[in-house]
Amino acid sequence: MISFARFFPWAVVGAGGLYLFLAMLPVADSDSEMHLNEFARLPVVSGGRVKPFSTEANNSLLIISSRQSFKDPKGNAQPAIKWLLDAMVSNRLFKQDAALSHEVFRIENDQVLNLFELPRKPLFYRYSIDELSPRMEKFGHQVEVARNVDAKQRTLFDQKILDLENHLQLYATLANLREPRMVPPSGDSMEWHTLASSISEAAESGDPDPNTLSLFAILGSYSKQDVKGFNAELDKYQQRLAKEMPVETSKAALEAWFNDFEPFYHCIFLYIFVAILACVSWLVWREPLNRAAFWLVVLTLAVHSLALLTRMYLQGRPPVTNLYSSAVFIGWGCVTVAVVLEALFANGIGNVVGATLGAMTMLVAFHLGSSGDTLEMMEAVLDTNFWLATHVTIVTFGYVATLVAGFLGIAFILLGVATPWLNRDLFKGLSQMIYGILCFATLLSFTGTVLGGLWADYSWGRFWGWDPKENGAVLVVIWNALVLHARWGGIAKPRGIAILSVVGSMVVGWSWFGTNQLGVGLHAYGFNKELAQGLLIFWSVMGGFILLGLLPTQKWSSFGTQVGSTPPPRRPPRKRGEPPVFRGDKGSTAIRSTRR
Amino acid sequence: MDHSGIQTTPNAVPGAKPKPRPRRTNPVMMCLNAVASLRLTVVLFVFAFALVFLGTLAQVDAGNWTVVKQYFRSFFVWVPYLTLVRFGQVFLYFPKDMDVPGSFLFPGGRLLGCLLMANLLAAHATRFKFIWKRSGVLILHAGLIIMMLSEVSTSLFAVEGNMTIVASGSSNYVEVHNTVELAFVTPADSKTDDIVVVPEAMLRKGGRISSDELPVDVEVVRYLANSKLSKEPPPRDRNTATAGFGLESEAIEQKEGSGVETEQKIDTPSAYVTLYSKQDGKSLGTYLVSLRLKDQPILIDSKPYEISLRFKRAYKPYTIYLKEFHHDVYIGTDKPKNYSSVIQVIDPSRQEDREVTISMNNPLWYGGETFYQQGFLEGDTGTILQVVRNPSWFLPYLSCAMVAAGMLVHFGIYLLNFLNRRIAT
Repeated sequence: MISFARFFPWAVVGAGGLYLFLAMLPVADSDSEMHLNEFARLPVVSGGRVKPFSTEANNSLLIISSRQSFKDPKGNAQPAIKWLLDAMVSNRLFKQDAALSHEVFRIENDQVLNLFELPRKPLFYRYSIDELSPRMEKFGHQVEVARNVDAKQRTLFDQKILDLENHLQLYATLANLREPRMVPPSGDSMEWHTLASSISEAAESGDPDPNTLSLFAILGSYSKQDVKGFNAELDKYQQRLAKEMPVETSKAALEAWFNDFEPFYHCIFLYIFVAILACVSWLVWREPLNRAAFWLVVLTLAVHSLALLTRMYLQGRPPVTNLYSSAVFIGWGCVTVAVVLEALFANGIGNVVGATLGAMTMLVAFHLGSSGDTLEMMEAVLDTNFWLATHVTIVTFGYVATLVAGFLGIAFILLGVATPWLNRDLFKGLSQMIYGILCFATLLSFTGTVLGGLWADYSWGRFWGWDPKENGAVLVVIWNALVLHARWGGIAKPRGIAILSVVGSMVVGWSWFGTNQLGVGLHAYGFNKELAQGLLIFWSVMGGFILLGLLPTQKWSSFGTQVGSTPPPRRPPRKRGEPPVFRGDKGSTAIRSTRR
Repeated sequence: MDHSGIQTTPNAVPGAKPKPRPRRTNPVMMCLNAVASLRLTVVLFVFAFALVFLGTLAQVDAGNWTVVKQYFRSFFVWVPYLTLVRFGQVFLYFPKDMDVPGSFLFPGGRLLGCLLMANLLAAHATRFKFIWKRSGVLILHAGLIIMMLSEVSTSLFAVEGNMTIVASGSSNYVEVHNTVELAFVTPADSKTDDIVVVPEAMLRKGGRISSDELPVDVEVVRYLANSKLSKEPPPRDRNTATAGFGLESEAIEQKEGSGVETEQKIDTPSAYVTLYSKQDGKSLGTYLVSLRLKDQPILIDSKPYEISLRFKRAYKPYTIYLKEFHHDVYIGTDKPKNYSSVIQVIDPSRQEDREVTISMNNPLWYGGETFYQQGFLEGDTGTILQVVRNPSWFLPYLSCAMVAAGMLVHFGIYLLNFLNRRIAT
């Protein structure tokens, strides 16, 4: 049994490593089929940047269908790249209409379905162009009506109509080869062109460039389902591109691999698994489970870091450039801090807190990533790596520290109220952890916030403008300062600090997502109903923990009476400022000093 | 520190002494101790937190600039209950048309700033000792004081203006957007104009304005701080104006001061002025002048003039030529990648003549002023530069460095002690 206990953590880490390794392996094409994965690696330009077909396909399908795969008529799941290829040959040039029967347009709204006279498809909700086309005229009329309504006055129905219209437009642009720009620059021109414009240009001049010819041939072979022709043309084109633009080709291939690997998706599962392991370790088989949880979280963090670095390399930017990447980075920061805490204190708290925060932030990121390209180009104002690297990174780390402190506070409250495990050592350790992290949180959030002011001053001559997002950041600073001063003044004791830090994580929620919902200011990204609901749920749960923490200490399972004294003598209510008595203590009056 | 088993009072950190202080009988010291209390600090932080939160929500209804004035640069503020309703509407499913009248009084930013400052200074006067362990707190609190002073200094001394230059054109003045002036312009020679202006303060005061420099005497019949111009003139018998554009349009008074910075809405002042010839004292007519009206030609003593109400212009010793303006977008999108202005600065007073490119995140510092790329004219036909003179610009940099360094020292000492103890056990 002892040897198994020693072996167990390594078995868990080994299994986790194998799982990740298998996910990491590039998807290979078989020679008897079309090399779709090779095709997906080809570079194109869209949204102002070079990316692989894979990204274009995934993002477009995600926008239209909220998924990155679709079902073929036989009911088998097919990759997004196949949908994109089907769409790209469903036009006047190639005359294939397989794409028209793919059920990909997600429609949940009953009123919209009524308009199309279509039945509800519970749990699936996806419809094909063939299903939509009979009522297209009526739909077009509704689109006109919705467009004429002022954006703020639109009903849900208007909005859904316009959403569907946008999705149909996106499909039409892809099908008509007007997006992405897939023809690389050749000759004197330095610009990427769309296949539609290249073909019409070639028709005029009678002198097509080799890249246009290749792409035309590839799509032609695809439309005829000519496996050999497709693979041969693709191979020829790939080799030429690798010579002409080695950097773009390899970056696009790397991004396509990254898309297939989906590292953040696997991280969600691993973090959840770690959180469960760590929680179970409190109940049984403490040491081996805890060690397994620790090393597995380290492994997951390594993959998380690698994925973060890959994104940074692909984008050529510091880690945080938009809301999505802030979630990925905050998750990374939280887990890193928690791993350091676990290494220092080795009490199992770091594992639970780190894995929970890791899983939560990755889920948030997963949700945010469904709105399009997560490696999008930066607006002109934000186009500065220096300030992105300093202000944004530091202020985000301030959020990280405040969140971690809040979750340590939750651990403190839960352990104390619901379990008898909050003993003297843990009480002291947790209080120190919370205090230390709060100090860092104050330092980082203050420095980050003021650096933001300096950026504004440097770039547009205005140090502080009281913009909602700036106010959000300063709220985090004020709150952290408040908690620290309350501690120094003896106004809040460890339990109070724990409760106040939970409030701190609510403030981070406000600052990170809440301020954007108001729809005002320079940093506003617009209202997002699901984010607002998510935030409300987060606040409610945090509020629940706070109420739990406010229970009088007599009700806390970890405090109160001595162990073994039956019946437990009723303890008089604790006076203000008097230390709590732990269940594990021998005698409630003579408390041994732990000072050395 | 108490000697009980668990630590219920904090570690011996600077900034607080858990031991009760010996009572002082000196009433001054007692007052000072009360002001210096950490409880007061925490209470003030709670108020500051609430104020910033309310000041954020208020921006749903009012412009950023109005909120800054009402909430953060004031001693007291009346907060409408509607502000809280807005939070409910965004997050708690309150009905969209919910309306709650009334408001409550809340301490404003200036008041809280002063109290925090008093609290901080009193704390240093009574509690703090100059020992190395507390050096961090001293540095960081000094940094905070500098930051508060810089905010005050900026609101008092900083001057902001705009310089608009059309492509291949030049400009030698900065427009200040919160002040207007009444200008009389007449050509002096083929290249330069003679300009005399009446400042806004005199227009607001009203009455008759006489000066040797003015070509006429000006009587301000009516001054409107913010107005709207009608497309139709009022009936002849009710029209104050007797000449010029006032015959075709009427200025209607509007509420002042809702200037919304983010939406670039600016008040439109207008005035009805009667001009009197200096030679014979006869009226030349009553004119309507407004920020939204073009220059009006007028003949004064057979000399051609143009009169206009315009933003106050500060003429500079230098001239800036706009050579090129670029508005770059990412390929295949209309997402802006960069805005940049290639300009030539010519300053005879400093023998300066050089070409500079100003772009986003890349301003020009020249002669104590900073030039930022702020905007552009429609169709990329010209550039708008923001020109800022802020003598205390370096204070935020200094204070940020001090506070960050102070915290690093302070928390660093704590961290080192903590790690030492852990290693020792």
